[in-house]
Amino acid sequence: MADVIEVGAARGDAPPPAADPAGRGARANRTGRATPYLFLAPYLILFGVFGLLPIVLGLWLSVHQWDFQLPNRPFVGLDNYKDLFSSDSAVYGDWWQSVRATAIFTLFSVPLLVVLPLGLALLLNRSFPGRTFFRAVYFAPYVLGVAVIGLLWRFLLDANLGLVNRLAGLVGLPADTPWVTSTPWAWVSLVGVTVWWTSGFNAVIYLAGLQDIPQELYEAAKVDGATAWERFRHVTLPGLRPVMLFVITTTVLASANVFGQSFLITQGAPGTETRTVVWFIVEEGLRDNDAGRAAAMSIVFALMLAVVSIANFRLFRYRED
Amino acid sequence: MIHNEMSRRRLLGLGLGLGAAASLTLAGCGGDDDAGPAAGNGGKDYTGPKVDLKLWNGFTGGDGDIFKTLVNQFNTEHQNIAVSVATYQWEDYYNKLPGAASSGNGPDIAVMHMDQLATFAARGVITELDDVAKTLELSEGDFAPTVWKGGLYNDKRYGIPLDMHPLGFYYNKSVMQKAGLDPNKPPTTREEYTAALTELKKSGVQGFWVSPFQFTGGMTFYSLLHQWGGSVFDAEAKNATFNSDQAVEACTWLTDMVKQGFSPANVGQDADYLAFKSGKNAFNWNGIWQINDLKKSSEIQWGVAPLPQIGSQQAAWANSHNFTIVKGRANDANKVSASKVFINWLSEHSLDWAKGGQVPARKTVREDAGFKALAEVNALAPELEYAAFPPAAPGLGEVMTTFYNSFNEAALGKKSPKQALDDGVAKANKQLEDNRKKYGS
Amino acid sequence: MTTPTSDTRPAPRATTPTPAERPTTRAPGATLRRTGLYVVVVALALVFLAPLVWMVITSLKTYTAAQQIPPSWLPNPFSGYGYEQILNNTANPVLRWFLNSMVAATLHAFLVLVTASMAAYALARLQFRGRKVLFALIVGTLFIPPTSLIIPNFLIVDSLDWIDTLAVVIVPGAASAFGVFFLRQFFLSLPRELEEAATLDGASQWQIFWKVVLPLSKPALSTLAVLSFLTNWNDFLWPIFVLFSPEMLTLPPGLGLLQGSYVTDYPVIMAGAVLASVPVLILFVLAQRHIIQGVSRSGLKG
Repeated sequence: MADVIEVGAARGDAPPPAADPAGRGARANRTGRATPYLFLAPYLILFGVFGLLPIVLGLWLSVHQWDFQLPNRPFVGLDNYKDLFSSDSAVYGDWWQSVRATAIFTLFSVPLLVVLPLGLALLLNRSFPGRTFFRAVYFAPYVLGVAVIGLLWRFLLDANLGLVNRLAGLVGLPADTPWVTSTPWAWVSLVGVTVWWTSGFNAVIYLAGLQDIPQELYEAAKVDGATAWERFRHVTLPGLRPVMLFVITTTVLASANVFGQSFLITQGAPGTETRTVVWFIVEEGLRDNDAGRAAAMSIVFALMLAVVSIANFRLFRYRED
Repeated sequence: MIHNEMSRRRLLGLGLGLGAAASLTLAGCGGDDDAGPAAGNGGKDYTGPKVDLKLWNGFTGGDGDIFKTLVNQFNTEHQNIAVSVATYQWEDYYNKLPGAASSGNGPDIAVMHMDQLATFAARGVITELDDVAKTLELSEGDFAPTVWKGGLYNDKRYGIPLDMHPLGFYYNKSVMQKAGLDPNKPPTTREEYTAALTELKKSGVQGFWVSPFQFTGGMTFYSLLHQWGGSVFDAEAKNATFNSDQAVEACTWLTDMVKQGFSPANVGQDADYLAFKSGKNAFNWNGIWQINDLKKSSEIQWGVAPLPQIGSQQAAWANSHNFTIVKGRANDANKVSASKVFINWLSEHSLDWAKGGQVPARKTVREDAGFKALAEVNALAPELEYAAFPPAAPGLGEVMTTFYNSFNEAALGKKSPKQALDDGVAKANKQLEDNRKKYGS
Repeated sequence: MTTPTSDTRPAPRATTPTPAERPTTRAPGATLRRTGLYVVVVALALVFLAPLVWMVITSLKTYTAAQQIPPSWLPNPFSGYGYEQILNNTANPVLRWFLNSMVAATLHAFLVLVTASMAAYALARLQFRGRKVLFALIVGTLFIPPTSLIIPNFLIVDSLDWIDTLAVVIVPGAASAFGVFFLRQFFLSLPRELEEAATLDGASQWQIFWKVVLPLSKPALSTLAVLSFLTNWNDFLWPIFVLFSPEMLTLPPGLGLLQGSYVTDYPVIMAGAVLASVPVLILFVLAQRHIIQGVSRSGLKG
């Protein structure tokens, strides 16, 4: 059972093409056939009704022009999908602009949100007086809802009246940076605010992951004369790998789901350059009453995310080979 | 109860599979209302058994308190009608109303902005009210014509107007005084306006901050476009027309404010108004609703007047709150007729509502001495005559967003006014075509 | 592979939890490093705290003072206006909203912990047909933006007749793949020796799960509890869509009603944020204790 941690991490990570052939290893012998399903049952009931069924319903909506109350809700086949790819439809421009906005945000926020919280977690995993306090401090911004942080930062970042520009002016920096009304500054603001807001979230996950790495591994490494960097590289990182995969995957998804920040802070400005995919989907589905089109967008978007995430999973597996 | 039976059937449908669930949901949505619009005697009185009415509005904060007081008064005066009020933020309100109505959790009476009426009427969420107008002998003459016509969709009445809230011209008296301007003579024409801004600039004040966002820059542009004689859509709302020469000129006049140094660039959301309150600028085109807000700050010397005439005619952005009756899943004739009684009563008692900072839609109330005493609100009443409401076409909300976004690009200098508006119109026309398909008009 | 993960020696018995990488043996440089550590930690804390301090300051201003340009650094005078609007609000059942949120978030977190930990254990440790497919399916649902499922979910809860009840904000969210994915990854990183020993002792899967895996996973479980609670506590869009009666609302949509529609009432919003975040911060600090405890795994039979 030498490398259980690694093998365990490596095995199930990539979405596999086919079912696992009958149980491997002696451990399964003692388990009744029904046991795994009993463990799964409570979650699977929830998952079936509120996880899968909505998606199936969403697929159904996506081939209709659907509205809660409109008398005619015709079947439109793949029209909702075609609209997203034909340049003369009303949504084409907006849709791809929102994809671009989400991609930019994700590309810049994910690396920061994966690396900085890991640093925070390593820092907070040390033993020093006041550690609990500082953990709470770094986590504190995430306790606030997006509505509050949005308003707070919109006020702070205002080009003409905001405190950020005022402070910048005091230290001799330009005092008229258009933080929320012009790109690329709007992206800097959105990414910066999100890093400030959610770093604590990923940090506590890393922190919990660090607790799972057996202390004796560090001791052994020290006996072998490993430097701090080598211990990080050969003990911490491998030990964190399953958690890291989780953090990267969920951070990519969370960033791709960005909505509230740009809705409140930049309000899409300039024009609709910072309007994100999820915002656009919500607008189509809830405000403009086109649930079918919104559903088609979500499905296309989910497929894009799946491609990114599978690449992610693969990357992690290769690293271990 | 009908409701429970319905739910059980629908639950069953869920179990049977997707198709069944979908069709049952479809059946559950308020298509057939036998009680229909003809219920009751159109709001004269209600003598049936006691009914509970649910009313939804978006009057959060202080407005909501005034409204609730009025409702309480109504409830005391009417033993057999009990109205309960639920308030949500407007944006959420419009999002949740269709789902609520189709699931049987909706209100009986809904307060709605005029520009939403057509959408909700076309979607069958709200019911016709022609008989209310007829029985109560309400006609155009009792209301301002602009507001009264706004309640129509496809020649049928869906809303009884409660009030009108236009854009007004706010001026900071102390800032004007400091710049050597007469604080009691706000500019009323283009020449006076530019002259005042020039004086203000000399005293180091950027007098008129142009916001790139709907609140308030977008509404300012909307007003100017009509002042120049343009319009956002053609009369049938078939085509967008906000890239006309007039529109481009109006937009250019506004965006030139930045170039001429009368406004800073990159004005943020609310920054124009906050700067106004802090004496950092002098003029702000803002909604009538800010009157009560400004009254809270005793240290500001301010005034409000109808919008100056910058273009070739007078015009002002405006909207109006309307009462509507929601089609229920199980439509109850008693509820419908009681609702009509309530709407009529509140419309007659809208003077108290005017204290909340809105111009009453009803003429008799506007001519009441009590309303005349509300100096500031009354100052904007003349705008009723030339208020520019958007046409009654369903699904216009997203097209208006396109309009405001085009202005945003122009105001932030991302595109020239012409370019921004041309691009916007191209998109808006596609959206209008989509709407025609969807709403079948 | 030379990584120390191949070390198979039985875990030495540690008497006290030893946090990883504790600088114990480098006496001469220790003070210097300690100081350096504090400089970094405090500097970072300032960055994280400054906007929050501004939030608290704003919450203590009067309505007009909060809109003043340029803003004053300190509230002058200190004002209870924002808090009063919330705590002394007779027109709205604020306390009820708070209780609703508390009940919903607590039950939601509990539901997630129970269902996700069991499912994650099966997915991480038990062999059964279709395990990989099931896991892929579960994680696959994460790709669909949850906000885009509001209408389908609405149709489902409507069919269940759950609209305008607390169940609607407690249960559906627990189907999220987040918790299962999260715990599965943690279970995978647990060393298997203890479970193997328990198996040899004749323990059933249920006993192993309950007596070995769960106690070892306290850090992960308490982290998940906090995160689930918080997600539910701050959820905004879904409750708006499915809760209708004023007395059924949760805190986030409720607090939105306390300010007018046309102007941003900063003190009220910020006071609401301060009040709403206190319970979560307390919960977080309490949960922290478990996160630290996790290291003392070697106290168990190894």
